[in-house]
Amino acid sequence: MSAIDIDHVSKHYRTGAGIDDVTLSVEHGEVFGFLGPNGAGKSTTIRLVMDLIRPDAGRIRILGREVRRGGRAVRRRLGYLPGELALYEQLTGGQMLDHLASLREGRGTGRSVGDLAERLHLDLGRPIRELSRGNKQKVGLIQAFMGDPEVIILDEPTSGLDPLMQREIRSLMRESTAEGAAVFLSSHALNEVSEVADRVAIIRAGSLVATEAVEGLRSRAVRRIEVRTTTPIPEDQLAALPGASLVASSGNHATIDITGSMDLIVKVLARFEVLELVAGEPDLEQIFLSYYEDQRRETADEA
Amino acid sequence: MKREPTAPWWTRSVFGRSLHDERRALIGWSIGLAATIVLELALYPTVRDNDMSALLDSYPESVKQLFGLTDFATGTGYVRAELFSFVLPLMVVVFGVLWGSDAVAGEEDRGTIDLLLANPISRRRVVGEKAAAVVAGLGLVSTVMAAALVLASSAFSADVPVARLGAASLMAFALAAVFAILGLALGAATGKRGLARGVGAALAISAYLLSALGPLASWLEPWRVASPWYHALGVDPLGHGVPVGHLALLVLSAGVLTVGAAEAFDRRDLGI
Repeated sequence: MSAIDIDHVSKHYRTGAGIDDVTLSVEHGEVFGFLGPNGAGKSTTIRLVMDLIRPDAGRIRILGREVRRGGRAVRRRLGYLPGELALYEQLTGGQMLDHLASLREGRGTGRSVGDLAERLHLDLGRPIRELSRGNKQKVGLIQAFMGDPEVIILDEPTSGLDPLMQREIRSLMRESTAEGAAVFLSSHALNEVSEVADRVAIIRAGSLVATEAVEGLRSRAVRRIEVRTTTPIPEDQLAALPGASLVASSGNHATIDITGSMDLIVKVLARFEVLELVAGEPDLEQIFLSYYEDQRRETADEA
Repeated sequence: MKREPTAPWWTRSVFGRSLHDERRALIGWSIGLAATIVLELALYPTVRDNDMSALLDSYPESVKQLFGLTDFATGTGYVRAELFSFVLPLMVVVFGVLWGSDAVAGEEDRGTIDLLLANPISRRRVVGEKAAAVVAGLGLVSTVMAAALVLASSAFSADVPVARLGAASLMAFALAAVFAILGLALGAATGKRGLARGVGAALAISAYLLSALGPLASWLEPWRVASPWYHALGVDPLGHGVPVGHLALLVLSAGVLTVGAAEAFDRRDLGI
């Protein structure tokens, strides 16, 4: 039995947004990444899973139960962080968390609010309206993880957090899956997903483009590298490299796109005196294009 | 990290939190009601000792009817005309509509409903607890109103029987509860707080006019029974005590509206 089972689910809006025939399942013990640009339908999918909106077609199950009918029983074992987090501003963090803990009945065991707050460096005594965006996000994260839920659904969990905190959240996810929980992690940032997820589904314009292990995603990631050396790098040295393409070069400065592993390019650059090396974030749009090219090739082959 | 040793009582339920959120409004409206009552009754001895009947006779019948200006000489007549014909019930109704229209739709508007409904609590239950909180809050405010009436009535020797002041306060409370739940239901069904507040207030005022003007126009008269104001105060609880049948009708209306609100809220896509 999967932790989350989304089965041919569609939800259409008059504006044209929504999702179309999405099928995926999240297993116990894994972090499942849900990757796509803003507006691709990630939050729509998650709000369908949370039964806040209802699908036009398809079925959604959590822990084997249909979310509409079995909702209450399911939510007893669930942690959820909304993408557009809104808290009870007039309460303190501690009061808000006490309130949510009360509503969750018997979920007092497991990771306690106090421990989590200490780990994330959050002062629970302060009114939420006085908290920074990052600290509000921490309140949201604590309530999602408190009481050790079996299924954890996180919509853009690290937005507003500094890199150290982001790492702390990733280790929280890892600890949870080590204990058998399932984590459904939605994000628009490839790095965030690829660092922690086991499998990844990619969504674009409401449709799933692919679902695969995270290694496959990494091998498709295209990074742009800018390098400055003391002597020019001959173009033929770069052109010969598999996966590399020279975008621009002028004198001692070169811009190169690398697909997949960085190993070969680093070995080439090692022969020169490198003054400056900047590697950009992988471009999500490039990954989408590579999947589309695959699909087109497949359909062309079939024809 | 600082933590309170035990969670305060109001964090334990949606009901408790909803009441706690409104604590300042509850105190404010209570003070407003008590002040209005004391001011009006402080004028009573002056009105009683001067013959106001000439002034009263000069008013057109429609004005007298609209504002219930029938009899200023007795304490009961004065309280009916000055307080229960319009001012006090209107204040409680306005408070009820403002709160009710925000109770469910406000959480949706502010986005907190996503987090609330991620818990093992059903949407119906949320509506039920919200409605209960609004009714309990109106009950508190109405109790303060009744207490202020009893104290001020005896302090300024208006000598209205305590039971009758209680009866009229109870009916004003029931009236406000109906319109508060109506506002809540409109908000729960549409998710639009402004719309719920506007339509709720408009319906409350039209129902008042229907009840107050009904006796003046024969074609309007049969429709008075459609107005909650008629059932609450049109039947004069200050003069005759609690009208049990009418009270039951108001309670039933609030109950039906609550069920309707829960049903509509349960079926809808939220927060879009």
